Amino acid sequence: MMVLNLLAAISISNVAGAGVTLLVIGLVFVLILSIAYAKLRVEQDPTVEAVLAALPGANCGGCGLAGCGAYAEVVVADHGLMGKCGPGGDTLVREIAALLGIEAAASAPVRAVVHCGAKRADLINSTRYGGAATCGEGQMVAGVMGCPYGCMGFGDCAAVCEFDAIDMVDGLATVNYDKCVGCGACVQACPRGLITLEKFSEDPLLIITCSSRDKVKEVRGYCKVGCVGCGLCAKLDPNHFQMEQSLAVIDYEKYGRSEEFDKAVEKCPRACMLFVGKKAPAETNAAAAVEEYTDHR
Amino acid sequence: METVSHLILVFISIALVNNLVLTKFLGICPYLGVSRRVDMAFGMGCAVTFVITISGTVTWIINNLVLQSIGMEYLKYIAFIMVIASMVQLVEMYVKKFFSSLYDSFGIFLPLITTNCAILGTCLFIDLWGYNFLEALVASFGGGLGFTLVICMMGGIRENLEWADIPKALKGAGITLITAGIMTLAFMGFSGMIK
Repeated sequence: MMVLNLLAAISISNVAGAGVTLLVIGLVFVLILSIAYAKLRVEQDPTVEAVLAALPGANCGGCGLAGCGAYAEVVVADHGLMGKCGPGGDTLVREIAALLGIEAAASAPVRAVVHCGAKRADLINSTRYGGAATCGEGQMVAGVMGCPYGCMGFGDCAAVCEFDAIDMVDGLATVNYDKCVGCGACVQACPRGLITLEKFSEDPLLIITCSSRDKVKEVRGYCKVGCVGCGLCAKLDPNHFQMEQSLAVIDYEKYGRSEEFDKAVEKCPRACMLFVGKKAPAETNAAAAVEEYTDHR
Repeated sequence: METVSHLILVFISIALVNNLVLTKFLGICPYLGVSRRVDMAFGMGCAVTFVITISGTVTWIINNLVLQSIGMEYLKYIAFIMVIASMVQLVEMYVKKFFSSLYDSFGIFLPLITTNCAILGTCLFIDLWGYNFLEALVASFGGGLGFTLVICMMGGIRENLEWADIPKALKGAGITLITAGIMTLAFMGFSGMIK
């Protein structure tokens, strides 16, 4: 009651009175909420809190979630969604990566790599497909194209890329390394699992642009440029190249250029070795290279 | 006895006859946003009922005992919003602690109760109609229950609409708004029941 009398006395000067009244009411609720917070606090993952602190806090909803709080939780659970924050941009991706303990991303950036090099003209025995033009639908149709491993070219990966870093060039997903931040959204979008995230310990980085595990006869039946599993690279440089079934793979743990390495790259008869990255050499026509090699032989 | 029957009339008046959503058109945002499933709609209704009851009562106390006694009724809008915002914070903490799956399904709509006009509307109506403390308590609780009733009905209808053959142009928001309109027409039948 004393407070009320006091307030009544103050109300002579209306502005100050209004301020004081609201202040008192506010303070009462601050007290109530502080007590409630102490009793009802939910222990949160400290990583989530750290990520939330790093986010812009605009609650714009651009990521497709309710706000920055919801996005922080999702990102910690699923690293692939790191690049969804538009306002945060590249710097934020790096910050989050550091917080999530993907320090590698800070020193040697992780970038998306497409393990297919077949453009539309390189495909053999493609059937005509009239269904919905998405990879997810196409994947359900047997024989949407001859090769059961390669890029279908409907661009599901390009559609999910928030950074506009994947272009569909002649029916082949091609990563633009000036824009790619390595968020991994495309890795999840590709129903054929053609895209992986690789650590770019060197730029340009050599990749095998084929995922076909079929034997030579099948590969030659549906693709002009796919790996036939001749094993030449693994023979020339067993340190860096291995054969997995009928597919050459690079061991990125031990990646490094050497004399044997370059020789193996040069000798590949199918031109499915490609240097990618910001400093990648100008693109050559893979199919022409294969033909040239065959003629030469 | 007379008081009790009067209070029952106050309750029915705000829950059905002057239903916040369907006759006053308040709180449309959660009404359309969180009514996709009955269980979610019911959770939202409970949260709103809780907030509305507490805020209706507390704002009555603040308005009648504090603001009017010092002649500062003009502060009521700010003071009411402050009460509502605090209550929403309280509910949010509580729901997050004890019903975390419900908390996830609410998403942004839980903090948005703060700006739910049904709640501020109820507080202002109580002031406008000159209710006493008991009436204010009953009216705010009734307002919340009326909201819950309507949002749950909407949820039930929309669950069934999922399987209905709706013309393509009307799918989603279109048919929901039409449904809301028809429900309003139905609730008009209550008007005139109580003066």
